Amino acid sequence: MSARDEILAHVRGAVAHRVAAPAPFEPARRRADFATFAAQLAAAGGAPIGPLAAADAGARVAELCRVWAPEGRVLASDAALLCLGSAGPWRPIPADAAPHALADVSVAILCGALGVAENGAVGLDGREARPRALAVLCERLVLLLETRRLVPELHAAFAQLPEGALAQPHFTFVAGPSKTADIEGELVLGAHGARELVVVGIDD
Amino acid sequence: MSAALDGRAARLLPRGPRLSAHDAAVFALRAKRDAAARAEPDFERLREQAQQIKAHALDHLDLLLERFEASAQRAGARVHFAADAAELRRVVLELLSQAGARRVVKSKSMLTEECGLNPELERHGIEVVDTDLGERIVQLAHEPPSHIIMPAIHRSRADIGALFERELASPPGDTDPARLTEAARRDLRGRFLAADAAITGANFAVAETGTLVLVTNEGNADLGTSLPRLHVACLGIEKVVPGLADLAVLLRLLARSATGQPISAYTSLLTGPGPGGELHVVLVDNGRTRLLADPRHRSALACIRCGACLNTCPVYRRAGGHAYGWALPGPIGEVLAPALAAGPEAARLPFASTLCGSCSAVCPVKIDLHDQLVAWRAAAPRGWRERWAARLGALALGSGVGYRLAGGLGRALWPLLGRRFAANPLAGWLASRELPPHPGSSFRARFAARARRAEP
Repeated sequence: MSARDEILAHVRGAVAHRVAAPAPFEPARRRADFATFAAQLAAAGGAPIGPLAAADAGARVAELCRVWAPEGRVLASDAALLCLGSAGPWRPIPADAAPHALADVSVAILCGALGVAENGAVGLDGREARPRALAVLCERLVLLLETRRLVPELHAAFAQLPEGALAQPHFTFVAGPSKTADIEGELVLGAHGARELVVVGIDD
Repeated sequence: MSAALDGRAARLLPRGPRLSAHDAAVFALRAKRDAAARAEPDFERLREQAQQIKAHALDHLDLLLERFEASAQRAGARVHFAADAAELRRVVLELLSQAGARRVVKSKSMLTEECGLNPELERHGIEVVDTDLGERIVQLAHEPPSHIIMPAIHRSRADIGALFERELASPPGDTDPARLTEAARRDLRGRFLAADAAITGANFAVAETGTLVLVTNEGNADLGTSLPRLHVACLGIEKVVPGLADLAVLLRLLARSATGQPISAYTSLLTGPGPGGELHVVLVDNGRTRLLADPRHRSALACIRCGACLNTCPVYRRAGGHAYGWALPGPIGEVLAPALAAGPEAARLPFASTLCGSCSAVCPVKIDLHDQLVAWRAAAPRGWRERWAARLGALALGSGVGYRLAGGLGRALWPLLGRRFAANPLAGWLASRELPPHPGSSFRARFAARARRAEP
C-alpha cells in the first residue's frame, strides 16, 4: 500500500463521528476608512500617505524616490504607471524579467488589490506583483491603494478577493516593511525584504 | 519527575541575568498578546470559532486531504505523502537529487525539525541554509531552535555578536541588533540569489483551492520561494483547513496570539507553481493519525504553532526550550511528544508542568492543554520508585490508623536522617526542595493540647 493510501486509511479509521461545520463567523462591525487603515499600517512600521487625488500621486511618489535614491532603479507596474503618469524616475517592469535580474531595484511601485482596515495589510494580486520576487527584493516598496478598495477585516478580504486571484500562483498580503525581533526580542525593520513600505491612498 | 529532564534543565537553565532576560523577553510576547486580545472585540468569539473549525477539519481530515490533493494538482503542484520522518527525508532528498539541487534555502518549519531533515540533506552533500534570522543564528551555533517562533530567544545579543563576528565577519564587539540583522541580511541575500531550491513548511493548506499559506515577518519565505525554480513544502496532515472563510478566522488569531500583531508582515497564498517553476507538497503523518485516533488527545492536532502557550508557561520561561529535548518545547510540545516522539523520555515530558492552566487560557484554538497533560501523566509508564511511593502513600492516607502511624514514623525519622529524609529514592519530588522546620509534635497533638488549655 502506498503511503498515501495508508495515511488515508488510518485517517478514515480514526474519524468515526463527524461534527458539523460551525456557522459562518459574524465579525463585529467596524470602519473601513483610510484613517483606520493608516493607523494600523503605521503601527506595523509602514508609512501611510494621503488619501490624495489621483492627479497628485505622481508628484508625491516622484519626490519620495528623489529623497530615497536619486540615482536608483525605480520600477513600476503597468497599473501604477497609468496612475503616476510618465513624468518621474520610474520605468516599466521589463516584460518577462527573470527575478534574479531585479536584485538591484531601489524602489518598486505596485497597485494594491485591496486594503484591510483592521490590520493595515494590502493585498497584492499575482497578476500585478510580477515577478513575485520584486516586492521583496526591492529596497523600498510603494503601494498605490484606491480607498474604495478598503475592507473592514480579513473575513471581508477573503470574501472579496478579486475574481480569479487564486487561479494565480500567488496572492500576498503585505503589512508593513520586512521585520524581525529574533535578537533579544528587539524590533528591527528590514530583515530580508523591503526596508520601508509606503502606502499611498488614492481617492477617485 | 523525569530524571533526564531535570538533568537537562539544570544544565541548560540560563542562570542569572540571562534567565531574567529570557523570562522577560518571552513574557513580553505574552503581554503583547494580551493587549492585542483586549483590543480586538472579536477575539474570544474567534477562539470559539477556531476551536470548532479545527474540530470539524480534523473530523473530516480524510475528505479534506483528498480535496486538497485534487485542488493542488489541478493548480499544477505535485502532492506526495510521507508516513513517517524517514519517508519525508527520502522524498525530499529524491526531489532535490532529481533536480540536481545542491544549494537549498529553507524557511522555518517545525515539522522538518521534528523529522531531522537538515542533517540528512547535509549528509548527502546538500547545503541547507536556514533563512529565518533566529533559525540562522541557531544553525550557525549548531543547536536546535528553543522557541517555535523565536528560535534564538535563549541567546544574548553579545552571544550573537560573537557568533556573527566568527561566521559572518561582522565588526568585533558589535552587539547592536539592527547592525547584526543587516550583516545576516547581506549574507543571506547572496544565498537566496544562488539557491537551486527552497524548502518551506506551511502555516495552513486550503482544501477548497489547493492553496498553501506561508506567514512570516521577515519575508524570507517569499524570497526563498520566488527565486529558485523548485519549491518543496513539507507539512503535517493536520494543517489542512476547508476553505478561505476558515483561513480568515485562523489568520486573525495567529499573529495576535504569537506576537500581538494584528497580522504578520507577509501572508502569502501560494496556489500552484510560479511561471516555469515546480511546486511539490509533502503531506506528513509521522504519528499524527495515531493522535487523531485518540479522542482524549486529538484536539492537540488543532495547534496552529503560535507559541502563546510557551510564552505564558512558568516552566518554559525559566527552563528554556532546550531543556525539553524535543523539537517542540513548552506545553504544546509536552502534549504532542508522547504521541509524536518515540522513547521513554517523551512519555515523561508531561510531568514538566505546574498544571497552572495558563497555557489553556491563552491557546487561540482552545486546546485543553493542562487537562491533556494530566491525562498523559495518568497514562505514563511508572518506575519502581513511583509504584512503591504510591503504595506507601495509599497505606498512609487510606485510614486514620495508617495516617497516625506514618506521621509518627516521619517525625521520628526526620531528625535522624536530616536532608536524606527528603532526598531519598522514594521522594524524588523533594530532591530539589527544602523542608520546613521540624514541627516537634503533630498537628493533632497540638490541637488537643490547645483544646485542653482552653477548657475552664
